[in-house]
Amino acid sequence: MILKRYIPIAIVAIFGSLTLSAWFIDNETIETFANDDATQFFDIIAAFAVFLGALNLLKLQFIKFIKKQKGWQYSAISILSFFFAFIIGFFIRGAYFVDDKVFFTQEAALESIIILDVSKEQQEEPYKVQENSFKNLSDAKDFAIKQNLITPVDWGAHVQKNGSLFQWMFKYIFSPLSATMFALLAFFVASASFRAFRARNFEASLLLLAGIIIMIGRVPAGGLISSWMVMYLIVLVSGLYIHYLKKKNNVTIIFTLAGFILVTIAGMITGWPIDKPSIFYLPLLQEWIYLVPNAAGSTAILMGIGLGIVVTSLRYIFGLEKSYLGE
Amino acid sequence: MIRNLENLIIKIGDVDRRVIFVLIGLAVLIPLLTPVSLPIRETPTTVKFYEGIEEIPKGSKVLVSFDYGPSTRPEIHPMNVAVLRHMLRNEHKVYISCLWPDGIYMALDALEDISDEFSLKEYEDYVLLGYRPGAEAVIKGLASDLRKVYTVDANGKFIDDIEMMNNVKNLNDFAYIYSGSAGYPGTFEWVKYGGDPTGVRMSSGTTSVQVNEVIPYVRSGQLIGLLAGMPGAAEYEKLVESPGIAIKGMAAQSFAHIVIVVFIIFGNIAFFLKQKKERKYSK
Repeated sequence: MILKRYIPIAIVAIFGSLTLSAWFIDNETIETFANDDATQFFDIIAAFAVFLGALNLLKLQFIKFIKKQKGWQYSAISILSFFFAFIIGFFIRGAYFVDDKVFFTQEAALESIIILDVSKEQQEEPYKVQENSFKNLSDAKDFAIKQNLITPVDWGAHVQKNGSLFQWMFKYIFSPLSATMFALLAFFVASASFRAFRARNFEASLLLLAGIIIMIGRVPAGGLISSWMVMYLIVLVSGLYIHYLKKKNNVTIIFTLAGFILVTIAGMITGWPIDKPSIFYLPLLQEWIYLVPNAAGSTAILMGIGLGIVVTSLRYIFGLEKSYLGE
Repeated sequence: MIRNLENLIIKIGDVDRRVIFVLIGLAVLIPLLTPVSLPIRETPTTVKFYEGIEEIPKGSKVLVSFDYGPSTRPEIHPMNVAVLRHMLRNEHKVYISCLWPDGIYMALDALEDISDEFSLKEYEDYVLLGYRPGAEAVIKGLASDLRKVYTVDANGKFIDDIEMMNNVKNLNDFAYIYSGSAGYPGTFEWVKYGGDPTGVRMSSGTTSVQVNEVIPYVRSGQLIGLLAGMPGAAEYEKLVESPGIAIKGMAAQSFAHIVIVVFIIFGNIAFFLKQKKERKYSK
C-alpha cells in the first residue's frame, strides 16, 4: 500500500509543488531545479518511454502473430519492419565517406578507391590505391583503411547523417508510405463531406456556409470570384427561399428582378471592382471568419483548456487525481 | 422536365463514393500534370509574418524548428524552405532544432534544396542541432540552458567546439524563433515555453487544420503573423519571390476544393429534394 500508493502520491505532490513554486518564488535553487533539472529528468524518462513504447508494440504484434488473430499478416510486416529499422539503427553505420561521396558499406567505399589495372593483371601488383600498387586486394584494402581514405560516420550521427542507410530507409520507405496515408485523407474528406455536410437546421446551415466560404476563399480560385457574382447568387438564393416561403410566383419574380437590377446599377456606378464591397469578396470574408468569430471561439476554448489544466494539476498535487496509479 | 431534373439530382446525391474518389483524383492530378497559373493574393497574416522577418536586424541569430514529418510535408516543407531562403538572404545565422524525430530528415532535405543557391557551409551559415525527445521539456530546457539539452549537434560534434555556438546560452540569445509545426509538439508549446517566457519574437507555419486553433495567438501578438497551410506557403513564396512547389500546388488544391464544394451543394439539393418527395408520398 505504502509503496504502490503513498510514495507515488508523495513524489507527484513534492515535484509538482516545486515546479509550480518556481513560477512564483524568486529562489535560484528552485528555479534551477524547475528549469534545468526537472526538464532533464523529463528528457531521460521520455527517452526510456520510447523504448517502453517500442517493446509494448512488439509484444502486442507478437501475440497477434502467434495467436494468428485477425490481420496477423500485418503484424508480421510490423515485426519485420521493426527489426529492419532496429538493425539498421543500432548495428549498421550505413555511411562511409570517400571525400564527399557516401557509401552504405565499407566494402563499397573500398571498391570505389581501389583500381584494378587490367593491363597489369598478369603482373606483380595489379591493385592501385592513389599512387601505390599492391599485389593482393586485401593489402590494398588495409592500406586504404590505415591511410584513413575512408571515413565512417560517427555512431549516433549515423541516423541523422545525409546519405546514410538509415536516412535512405526514411526517405525511400517511410516517407512515401507516410505521405500516402495522409494523402488518402483528401478522398475520405471529400466523400464524408458530400454525405454528412447537410443543412439540416440553422446551426448546421451556418457551419456549411462558413465551410464553403473558407474552402473557396482560402484558395486562389476564390480570388477570381467577383463580389458581384456572390451578390447575384445571394439574390438568386434569397428569391428561391422567398418562393419556398410564400409559394407565389409573382412575388418571387419581382423580388429577384429587383435584386438583380439593384446589384447591376450598383455595379455600374462603382465600376465593378472585383473585391468591392469587401463583405461579399470570398478571400476577405474567409479572413474575417478566421480572425473574428473563429478567434473568439478558439480563445474561449483555449481559456477553458487552461483553466482545466490548472484544476487537473492542482488535483495531482493534492493527491486527489490518482488515475496515473491505475485507480 | 423539372421532375426529370429533380430525379437526376437525387440520383447524383446517391452517387457511389468511388466516383467521388475518381473525380477528386482527377481534380488534383490534372492541374499537377498541366500546370495552371492562378493569381496568388497575400493575406494579412502572411504579410505580417513576412514583415516580422524583415524587421530582424541583419546577421541575427535565428532558431528554426522543424516540427513535422513526411505526412504533412506538402504543407509545411515549402514554407520552411521559403523561410530559410528569406533568413539566409538577410544574412541571418540559422540554428535548427527538431521536436519531431522525423524533423531532422525534413531539415536535411530543406538544407539540400537551398544548399547550392546560397553555397551553404555548415557551422558558418547554419548549425543543425538535431532532434531531442521531450517535447515541451526540450523547449523549457532551451529557454534555460541550451547546452544542457544539446551537448552535441546532429553530426555528433560537441556544441562547445562549434564557433557559431559561442555566445549562445539559451533562447534569449536568439532574435527570432520560427516553428514549422504540424501538431504536437509545435506552435503551442513554442509559444507557451519558448516565446512567452523569454520575450523572444516568434512565429509559426502550420497546417490548414491547425490555423483556427493558432489564430488567437496571432491576434494577441504572441505570434508575429502566421503561415497558414499550403496557401500560406504559396503566398510567402510569392512575397520572397522564389516560386516553388506551394505555388505549383495551388491549382490542384483550388480544383479539389471546388469539386468538394460542388459535391456538397449537389448533396444538399438532393437531400432537400428527397425530403420533399418523402413528405409528398407520406401525405
